[in-house]
Parts: sequence; structure tokens; C-alpha cells
Amino acid sequence: MASIAQKRGTKPTGFRRLLSPDLKTREVIAAYIFLSPFLIFFTIFFIRATIASVGYSFLDWRLLRPSPPYIGLENYAELFNDHIWWDSVWHTFYFAIMTVLGTTIVGLAAALAVTRPVRGAGFMRVFLYIPQILSAGAMGLIWNWLLSGQFGVINYVLSFVGIRPVNWLGDPNLVIPALSLATIWWTFGFPMLIFIAGLQGIPGHLYEAAKIDGANGWQAFRYITLPLLRPTILFIMVTGVIAHFQVFGQPYLISGGGPGRSSWTAVIYLYNQAWVAFRMGYGAAVAMTIAIIMAVITAFQFLVISRRVEY
Amino acid sequence: MSLGKISLPNYLGTYIFLIAIGILVLFPLSIAVSQSFMTNQEVNRWPPKIIPTEPTIESYRALFTQQDIRLDLWLRNSLIATIGHTAAVLVICTPAAYAFARLQFPGNKILFSLLLVTIMIPGQVTLIPNYMLMRDLKWLDSYNALIFPGAANVFGVFLLRQFFMQVPRELEEAAVLDGCGYLGRFWHVILPLSTNAVTALGIFVFLGHFNDLFWPIIVTSTLATRTLPVGLSIMQSSYAGQYRPMILAGAVVSTLPVLIVYIIFQRRIIQGVTLTGMGGR
Repeated sequence: MASIAQKRGTKPTGFRRLLSPDLKTREVIAAYIFLSPFLIFFTIFFIRATIASVGYSFLDWRLLRPSPPYIGLENYAELFNDHIWWDSVWHTFYFAIMTVLGTTIVGLAAALAVTRPVRGAGFMRVFLYIPQILSAGAMGLIWNWLLSGQFGVINYVLSFVGIRPVNWLGDPNLVIPALSLATIWWTFGFPMLIFIAGLQGIPGHLYEAAKIDGANGWQAFRYITLPLLRPTILFIMVTGVIAHFQVFGQPYLISGGGPGRSSWTAVIYLYNQAWVAFRMGYGAAVAMTIAIIMAVITAFQFLVISRRVEY
Repeated sequence: MSLGKISLPNYLGTYIFLIAIGILVLFPLSIAVSQSFMTNQEVNRWPPKIIPTEPTIESYRALFTQQDIRLDLWLRNSLIATIGHTAAVLVICTPAAYAFARLQFPGNKILFSLLLVTIMIPGQVTLIPNYMLMRDLKWLDSYNALIFPGAANVFGVFLLRQFFMQVPRELEEAAVLDGCGYLGRFWHVILPLSTNAVTALGIFVFLGHFNDLFWPIIVTSTLATRTLPVGLSIMQSSYAGQYRPMILAGAVVSTLPVLIVYIIFQRRIIQGVTLTGMGGR
């Protein structure tokens, strides 16, 4: 049909154009048909939900109340004055920074080891990634037990190097480092694999040249590997901070947020407000604040990155 | 172990490091497996026992006979929800990625950049409104609640678009000469040439959803509708004090399906991590 219209040299207009569209129009129609399932789902579950979340955050909405009153910024004011919230945010930062540093260092060390021409390197890549595939559920159950103060195997191992039993999950000062330790064990596999790819991208002749110039292994690492890995390291740290700031499973399962509230994280706080206390409006304000904090972190990281790249 | 042409002293440090980190990775897992074969008395002992004196499968039997532990249902729920969600993501995202990669329509670039900006918004923002939607649709405690929210995966579209753009245009043009429409070009040219990317995305969406905890905690509330990770967390809160070996057995049993998937697809998964920048969580 379209070809007839084109042969005549006239373009059909209006309704007829829709019935026998030319190639360009057909492409547009096809594009929107291809896009429509995505756009429908995206509109319902993302756009609508995000806008609704902003709206909810201005309501005093407890789940059982039929018509929630508008209270303006009161939820935000309450949140800003709640020291439990700021403690939770601090725990989250503390956890995220320690975990990101830990996974980056362990991941890089493991990547350096398995990219050397040693036996079993291929097997070790596959093997060292295994913790990463565990669910938060399985990982949490195992580490809740390993870190137990009374019968925990971690304390038993430490006793061999003369460290007296430590109440990891019962000491407010140790619980976040303990959760971080478990998380480093659980998630260093991802940085390792990304670093392996980064290391393989460094041309071998650079190391040969350094060797000729008399550089030792440390110098080659310091002046070739590290600078050339910088983009990879930054990628790992930026994505790591974002991912670990949203930590929920580990405190929920390993320490139950305790002792007291000393391992409450931002998302645990959100969970407790929205699904334990059923304060949906307040919970939405918490979620919006989490989003703002994460946007600030990301912006800050990009600022640091762009400044570093300049020289 | 014969070291052949590799000189030992040069790599001695590397071997020591690899053995050490290998032990550190294996240790927590092997303790969980080993102590799951112990009795309750044997586990609650100081110094802890590493190897059971008389291995018993009692905790595994208990795991499958306790009235309030339904690993079978939880595994079934997890599998149906995860397979359904993965299928939904692929069905929804591949055509959209094709449109963004290859089709000219007004707003292509703007729409795509807007999508990229939304990646910055963390998932917590949509939790409460989507939970309320599930409640209003009467979808709580149903597979729908576990399958459809999040099926419009922006990162998936972004990733697939990158790969679809790499398919040479000449191949699509050849298909046009053969009389292929847009659907034909998408189905017979673009998809077959991007199987690596599509499977990698599928595997990571699968692993991530199978292991997800927060969303299933809030949208399921009965014993029969829980998923495996949520079931485990409930099991821990009701049994951790009394019967530890059974908890460990639960962790072991629930890990086996994922471990099998990992062993079968290990090469694809390892390559997929670098291909996609996704980690399975």
C-alpha cells in the first residue's frame, strides 16, 4: 500500500497516512510499539511511584488511618530532629566506607594474584567468586553463627593468636566492623573480577620497559599498575558506596539491628518506620532523604574524580 | 604438585597468598556444612568442634519435617517468582533497547537520557508507593507482586542498547532486502547476534532476584507465600536459640540450587560480570 502512494509521488495525508504510512512513519510506529511494554511498566512502577512518594512524604499517613492529613514538611522536620535517624545514617556511612575500602583492597590483591602465571589461577577466579552468589539469607545465617560471642568459630580462631573472645554482635562498637567484615568476605568477588579485566587491559610492554629501567615489583605496581587502574578503582568505589549505603540484609539477619540500635542503618530505619510502625508518610520522607543523601554522595564523588583527572 | 617451568621462588608469595585467601573463603562455608551434621549439644560447646564426632542428618530431617518450615514451598515460590521476573525483564527490555539502539523516532535521545538520569534514584524511593499499589490491587502474597514491579529494568535497557548498537547495520539491511519487517530484524538478526549480552543480563537478573530480601519481606506475609531468603530469615528468628544445626542446614540446602547454577554457568557468569558490570546482586 505504501509503495503505491510512493509511486504516485504524493504522500497520503491524515487518516489515510496512518493506514498506509511511509517508511519514516512506519519506523516511528514500530519504535513506539517496541517501547510500549517498557514505558507502561516504567510509568506505573517508577514514575508514578516516585511522584507518589514525594506526595506521601507531606502526609501524616499511618496505614490504618483512612484520610491522611497534609502536614507540609513536618515529617522532614521530625526526621531531622531524630537522633536515631542520624545515628543510623552514621552507622551506614561507617559501614559503607569500611566495606568499600575492604572489598577494593582484597579484590585488587586477589586480582593481582590470579593474573600471575601461577597454577590454578583459573580455578581460583571461579572459586573466590563463590561467596558472592550466596543469598543475603544464607550468608546472614552463617555469619550470625560464626560471629557468636559464646560459641562462635571466629573467636575460636582468634584465640590461637592470643585474642580473648570478643562479643562481636553484643558490643555497640564492634557490631558495624563485624558486619563489614562479613560483607567484605561476601562481596569482594565482584571487584576482583572487574580488576582482573582492568589488569588485562594494561599493555605488557610497559612492564618490560620498567624492568629494563631496573624497576622492582613494587615500583612497577606503584607507577604502572595503580595509575592505569585508577578508572577501575574509581568505578569500584563509586558503585560500591552506592550499593553498600543501601545495606539491609546483613544488619537485619546477623545483628537484628542490635545491640540496642547500634547497627540500625538508613534502610533498617526506613523498614522500621514503614513496616513495623506503619507510618507510610514518614517512611516516604525517609526514602526521599536517603535519595538526597545518595545524590550528594554521588555528586561529591564525581567532583573528586574530575578534580583528580585534571593534573 | 609439579611446578614445571614456573620458578617457585618468584611466585612463592603468590601461592601463599592464594592458599590463605582460599582458606578464608572456604572456612565459613565448610564450618556451616560441617556443623549442620552435628547435634545441638555438639554445636553449643567451647572450644567449638570443627568436625562432627558422629555425623548425623537429624537437622536435615528436622528441616523437612517441621510444620513451620516449608523449604519446598519457599523454593517453589522463589523459582516461579524469579523465572517469571527474569522473563518479564527480558521481554520488556529487549524490544525497548532495540528501539533505542536502531529506530529513529522523535524523542529517542531525550527519552534515553531521561532514563539514564533515573538510574541515580535509589530503589527505596518507590518502595512505599509500590507496596500500597500491591495492597490496592490485592497482589500482596501473590506471584504478581514478586514478578512485575521492577520489570522495567533501566539498567538492562541501557546495557542491551550498547550491545545492539554494535551489530553491523549491513546485516539488518540484508534482512530488509529479504523482506524482514522490524520484528523480523529484531528477532532474526539483532537477538541471535547478542545472545551473550542477553544471557548475561538474564543470569544476573535471575541471581539478584532469587537472592532479594527486602521486597519479598514486605509483600509476603504467610508461611506458604514466602520466598527462600525470607523463609530462612524467619527460620532464624524462631529457631536460632534452640536448634542451630538446623539453621545451618537451611543455609546449606538453600544455597545448593544457586551453587549448581553457578557451576553450570561459571564461565558465562565470570565473563558476564565484566561484560555487564553486574555482580549478581
